[in-house]
Amino acid sequence: MSRLFSFLSLRRDFLWLKILFAIFTGLVGAALLHLIIVFSLPQFSQRDAYTRIIAEGESHRFYRLGEQPDRAGLSKEDPMIEMSVCSFDISETPVRLTAPNSGVPFWSLGVFDASSDEIFSINDRTSADHVLDVVVGTPAQLAALRKSLPRGFSQTVLVEAQQTEGYAVLRSFVTHKSVVPVISKFLDQATCAPFQWRTRVQF
Amino acid sequence: MFRVPFLVAIALAIAFGGGIWSTRLALDATIGFGAIKLGSWEAFPEAQTADADPYAKSHRANAGKLLYATAEGLSFTATTDDSGARLSGSCTYQLTGQTPTARFWTLFATGPDGRPPAADADLPSSLNSRMVGRQPDGSLDITIASRARPGNWLASPQQGQFRLTLTLLDTPAAGSSGLIDLSMPAIRRIGCGNV
Repeated sequence: MSRLFSFLSLRRDFLWLKILFAIFTGLVGAALLHLIIVFSLPQFSQRDAYTRIIAEGESHRFYRLGEQPDRAGLSKEDPMIEMSVCSFDISETPVRLTAPNSGVPFWSLGVFDASSDEIFSINDRTSADHVLDVVVGTPAQLAALRKSLPRGFSQTVLVEAQQTEGYAVLRSFVTHKSVVPVISKFLDQATCAPFQWRTRVQF
Repeated sequence: MFRVPFLVAIALAIAFGGGIWSTRLALDATIGFGAIKLGSWEAFPEAQTADADPYAKSHRANAGKLLYATAEGLSFTATTDDSGARLSGSCTYQLTGQTPTARFWTLFATGPDGRPPAADADLPSSLNSRMVGRQPDGSLDITIASRARPGNWLASPQQGQFRLTLTLLDTPAAGSSGLIDLSMPAIRRIGCGNV
């Protein structure tokens, strides 16, 4: 009888119901928080690829990646693929990515914006004469460039980017140890420089 | 008297604890939706594009990896053999069959720490399409073991679970999203221990 009485008193102030309600509220909050973190993480992440490449050093030059993670936390992700990365900012001038064709078995270039979305990619077979020559610029810059295309630009690939900041990743495949010197030379000679085309078209 | 603060504390603890725990779990466990699965191989051809789903974008922002763009290649990973058992360094596996069309491919095993093997390692811990001998019909037959094997041998880590990464370079599979009929090599367990 006393047990029944205590049970009734418990029901009267709905403690268990309140705890259940608190747990349910917590679960709804957890689901909301989960979605908020997943959707907002790309905006505030300090570990994303672009932030790491910025941390490599000054922009507009290629940095070779080693086997061990460097201070920016970047490293080669395949023992047989050599990599270089370069960050650029095209708000003032376009950036020109070049590398001489020195007979490497394979190279490929990926251009990404600051949120790591792919803008453009090319490899040695899809380029003209197996030579890397790409200019990345805003639509306005490229329209002006096309209007007065300087000499020697007929083979250049013009890539429009909507964002002004981004990065490029240049890869080369080491088929055998004997091609390592050729690949090192190819990656070391690759440039990622701001493109000063107005000074070149002066007559 | 302390009932209301107690209830609020329960709700907040579950919300923050559960929210952070589930997010960490989701970002560690998956690279997002949109995987193409071929046997035990898995690849994410759209993870680096603007069309990637929010989980894929969140994962890549957190992991900070440099992903292969479409014209560069496509990376397949496998953590299990064809029967679904985790790949273990104490077992021997046989990799047979064809890869999807690609100009080159590379194959290596990563240990529990997730770091790829060194390029100048003493053991053949990474292979590529140029250095592998083929069967008369052009298909692959690679033995994956921690001890030396005749024929094509890929050295796996001595102990613990490992993961295989097969990267196709310059492949139409990167733009396919599963529309082309692709086939990947089968991973069959030969035996465990000293076999």
